[in-house]
Amino acid sequence: MSTLTELGTLDVLEAEAVHIIRECAAECERPVLLFSGGKDSIVLAHLATKAFAPAGLPFPLMHVDTGHNFPEVIEYRDWYVNEIDERLIVASVEESIATGRVQDETGPRASRNRLQTTTLLDAIAEHQFDACFGGARRDEERARAKERVFSHRDMFGQWDPRNQRPEPWSIYNTKLRKGEHFRVFPLSNWTEIDIWAYIQREGLRLPSIYFSHEREVFTRDGMLMAAADFVERLPGEDTFTETVRFRTVGDATCTACTLSTASTVEQVLVETRASDVSERGASRADDKTSEAAMEDRKRGGYF
Amino acid sequence: MPVESPMLHAVAVGSVDDGKSTLIGRLLYETGHLNADEIAHVEEASRKRGRKFLDLALLTDGLRAEREQGITIDVAYRSFDAQGRRILLGDAPGHEQYTRNMVTAAAGADVAILLVDAKNGLTSQTRRHLAICAMLGVEDVIACVNKIDLVDYDEGRFTELADELIAASEAVDGPRITAIPLSALEGINITERSDKLGWYSGPTVLEVLHDLDRLIADEAFRMPVQWVTRHDEGGADVRALAGRITSGTVRVGDEVVALPGGKSATVSAIDVLGDARDVASAPLSVALHLATDIDVSRGDVMAPVADQPQVATRVKATVAWLDENPLSAPARLEVRQSARLVPAIVEELHERLDLDAMKHEQADALEANDLGIVTLLLAQPMVVQPYAVNREMGSMVLVDPGSNRTVGAVMVTEVLGS
Repeated sequence: MSTLTELGTLDVLEAEAVHIIRECAAECERPVLLFSGGKDSIVLAHLATKAFAPAGLPFPLMHVDTGHNFPEVIEYRDWYVNEIDERLIVASVEESIATGRVQDETGPRASRNRLQTTTLLDAIAEHQFDACFGGARRDEERARAKERVFSHRDMFGQWDPRNQRPEPWSIYNTKLRKGEHFRVFPLSNWTEIDIWAYIQREGLRLPSIYFSHEREVFTRDGMLMAAADFVERLPGEDTFTETVRFRTVGDATCTACTLSTASTVEQVLVETRASDVSERGASRADDKTSEAAMEDRKRGGYF
Repeated sequence: MPVESPMLHAVAVGSVDDGKSTLIGRLLYETGHLNADEIAHVEEASRKRGRKFLDLALLTDGLRAEREQGITIDVAYRSFDAQGRRILLGDAPGHEQYTRNMVTAAAGADVAILLVDAKNGLTSQTRRHLAICAMLGVEDVIACVNKIDLVDYDEGRFTELADELIAASEAVDGPRITAIPLSALEGINITERSDKLGWYSGPTVLEVLHDLDRLIADEAFRMPVQWVTRHDEGGADVRALAGRITSGTVRVGDEVVALPGGKSATVSAIDVLGDARDVASAPLSVALHLATDIDVSRGDVMAPVADQPQVATRVKATVAWLDENPLSAPARLEVRQSARLVPAIVEELHERLDLDAMKHEQADALEANDLGIVTLLLAQPMVVQPYAVNREMGSMVLVDPGSNRTVGAVMVTEVLGS
């Protein structure tokens, strides 16, 4: 038993996120939590279990699997789902390719990042989901800084940034037409540091690739990319071994790692606080294509 | 016992070209919240547009249309630390047609950062913004008299504008004003002082953000029920009321009532996300256990038996109209307040507030970005309090059941009864 204590930033962020999760679960008929095995979705899933404990989650988790994964992350995903004893749906990009819904990109710069959108929208339609929880944060990227907590998507999964529903106070308009859905972002106001500080506070386990390890890598566009069977290298892109870790976890073809010796959450926090490069700048090759790369992908139905 | 809030919700407002985006860019840059790659991006974007300087305004222009037109369309949120205190800063567009975005960004804000051009002085929009702050209950305004370099760092001009700002706020019964002379472009008085303003001994913007007292007020306990949890505990069906405490404090042993139903019970346990406590306060998300089972469902408001809010079906309210389709009475809409959605009728449109002339006038309709006074009839009894008494119980949004759009922001001014 405790008495009234001083509130910290994490207490307020946690209370806000739980409020959003409960609100969506109560108002939407078929929500789903998008779970990639990345740190943000782990924090999100943890908050969701806290929001309904001791009862279980009133919605399943869903992983949009590009087939280009880090094996450590898939291993973690399966361990975690078993640990919290919840249901996982896997929407597979490889299946979308096999059934001809999308065409795989080829060549050294091939990525399945774009293809995920079709797989995601197909899965939303198939399961008739009307809300997808996502772990996106406003500090990640400029277009995301402008996105609402309950972000409306039309029948085509499109985001219309010029026509967003105002969200004064913490009142969310959750009304939908058939076929439309929301992307719901309970971590909107969290920063990368908050995520790590919360992982530390709650003692959450993460996939091992978030911590320093030796890996065979090659250099592309000034970033360190992991060598993998499904990544075709350009002439001169020779591999070598480095001590690295990943700051984000995504499709292995477009997620870069950084040199690091941080092997614990505490060390990662120290490193992140001192870092001079943003998370996406350090690890996302897909945002470098144009000034509005993220906005364009989101308009089309991306996460 | 009031608790110091660890987070401060700020909103930046100003007319077009007051240098608001530059100021925000500076704040982030000088507090170390801009990373090398973000700065490199701004450099590149500045070059593309032929700017000869680092145009920090490009940092918060997040959407393609905004960058192409060089304007801000939608509210952007950034988080940063002011010497250890977390600031959540909403950047509201200054164009008149986007006043609805200012309402969105400023609703719930503790402090507004208002920009005034030292050369041009106060505009009708400055007064409009102060009036909106007053209406939304924003208690403090940091009035930044920007571009002080363009008036030769003149103390007289600053004092003149500071006096005008204080008078303008008093005229609308508005927020407390802290005026600061500054240059966003030169980076003066945002986080650091300059000899060029040797006559100024007041605080910088960052210092005000850090020092501002913002206590989580000791109001009456209110908790809208979001979700009734049920689980089996050794054969017994255990129920708990999950929700976020919107104001005040609740303790184990308190007599609470579920409104509008009116059934009461004793709080037997408080679960703060897995942590059993004997006391909890706003803004925590909790699950309350009651000693006796009473009929409670989503949308009910829990309150102390000894300090119950009113339950009503008719209220008078200020409405900020947000939609392109005008509002005229009578109109059938829906009202969303915390965890409730009920049909409502706008019975009467009493008047429109002309914020430029600072007067009320008769009107047949409210256009987008207009503010007006209305009477609302609610289809079911709801817990309502005047916005000035309790923000959460006094704020609502209007939803058009045809389009599902959020068409209005409502602040209750008077509870008229049932």
